[in-house]
Amino acid sequence: MNTAVASQTVPVETGAIAVRGVSKWFKTADGSPLQVLADIELTIPAHSMVAILGASGCGKSTLLNIISGLVTPEQGEVLINGTPSRQFSDWRSVSYMFQEDRLLPWRTTLHNVEFALEAGSIPHSERQARAREALRLVGLETFEDAFPYQLSGGMRSRVALARSLVLEPCILLMDEPFSRLDALTRAQMHDELLRIQQLKHMTIVFVTHDVEEAVVLADTVVVMAPRPGRIRDQVPIALSRPRDATEAATARLAHQLKSLI
Amino acid sequence: MPEVLENRIHARGTPRALRLDLLLQRVALVGIILGVWWVLALGVPHYILPGPVRVWNALQQISSNGDLWNNLGITLGRVGAGFILATVIGLPLGILFGANRRLGEFFEPIIPVLNTVSSAIWAIFAIIWFGVSNATTIFVVFMTAMPLIITNVWQGTRTVNADFIELAHVLRMPSWKVMVKIYLPTILPYFFSGARLAFGFGWRVSLVAETLGSSSGVGYRLRQAADLIQTDQVFAWTLTLVVMMAALEMGVLRPLEDHLFRWKKEAENQ
Repeated sequence: MNTAVASQTVPVETGAIAVRGVSKWFKTADGSPLQVLADIELTIPAHSMVAILGASGCGKSTLLNIISGLVTPEQGEVLINGTPSRQFSDWRSVSYMFQEDRLLPWRTTLHNVEFALEAGSIPHSERQARAREALRLVGLETFEDAFPYQLSGGMRSRVALARSLVLEPCILLMDEPFSRLDALTRAQMHDELLRIQQLKHMTIVFVTHDVEEAVVLADTVVVMAPRPGRIRDQVPIALSRPRDATEAATARLAHQLKSLI
Repeated sequence: MPEVLENRIHARGTPRALRLDLLLQRVALVGIILGVWWVLALGVPHYILPGPVRVWNALQQISSNGDLWNNLGITLGRVGAGFILATVIGLPLGILFGANRRLGEFFEPIIPVLNTVSSAIWAIFAIIWFGVSNATTIFVVFMTAMPLIITNVWQGTRTVNADFIELAHVLRMPSWKVMVKIYLPTILPYFFSGARLAFGFGWRVSLVAETLGSSSGVGYRLRQAADLIQTDQVFAWTLTLVVMMAALEMGVLRPLEDHLFRWKKEAENQ
């Protein structure tokens, strides 16, 4: 099984990500360096959906944080739309969705979505219109005046998704975004995410330790191994959508991936 | 699930029957207090304990000749000035001490010291420094209210959620916006409880300050009435103060708090 893109040329299309020879060390408590990522090579074509799969502690979240520009690697570089991330400036077109919904409790649904637009200097009326549009996209337009505590876990997750989408990102990075939801709600969010990607065509990179989630959603599953974090394999998923985790072909792939972790 | 949600959203108001019940209880309580007061006053000379009717007449007298509104206004103005001064200085200092650990550690011992100094001592200092003037009362209110506001705001900065700061960071939000949009809303409930405490204390100590070092205001008039053994007027002024504090609490503070922190209160009531 080989990678979807084998060549070392840098994709320059909007939404394309290239990780080139990235290594990362953390300082441990006693001061000695600990390598968390070793020589990561990864090319993510624009408009694709890629899962980074691995056991906890394999550095998958660190890799996502490096792609997002939150963490700087000691070696190697990340290219976004063909631009090295050090020179890249349009970070607001790269959205990041956290493991927790991180909704501000003092803000209503609408204002929580607007929050993502408040970093820049977009006029209030436009902010509101765009936030409403994003809420419509996730099916929460009738709950714009509700406070977070009034929403169910699934709804809160949708609000967080709307907040990530309101900036019209070309890249959406997600760090185990649905891991705290129950199985049923999680499946609903998967459908939702696939529907939205069909509509918006952004590149989605998500970190997960859930094999079924990776198989159901991704075009390519990047399997990582721990100590130090490295890419063990990249598995393209050619199954047609929508996929069902209980179907034989899907289950077989999931089983195969589990043996890789 | 949507129906459940609708219920949760609409379950805000207290049921009407319960409110009426509570109102009746309050009326009964006031009635009992008035009754006991009236009976007690029957057997005692009026300069020791004036009855409700006598106090009511005194109240009418001071309110009709403008004495009441005049002095109430003066005292309220002094309390307000001291309180605003305490907020303007205490709020930024509280945020500063909270945001900068080194500064916070350095100044931390000052707050308990300020809090232990009695308001009466501040009043004596104020008379030495400012004499009989408005500044005396304002200073005492300020010195009492400021440590309370600093302490509460300081505590508030400790509860700022690092996850929200990271969220703002991911959005590349400039730091002054992080202060306004994340720090301030987090601190606000703490500031509010500090401010309410400070205002209540300020009001009480202002009377002490006016008794000692002023020629106007409610505190001054209270002492004057006491000196002239006009006990009915002492009662009338006291009653006015109680009513005014209750009106401020229920008419201004509580509705404002309910509105500002509706996201919080209801979440706690769940």
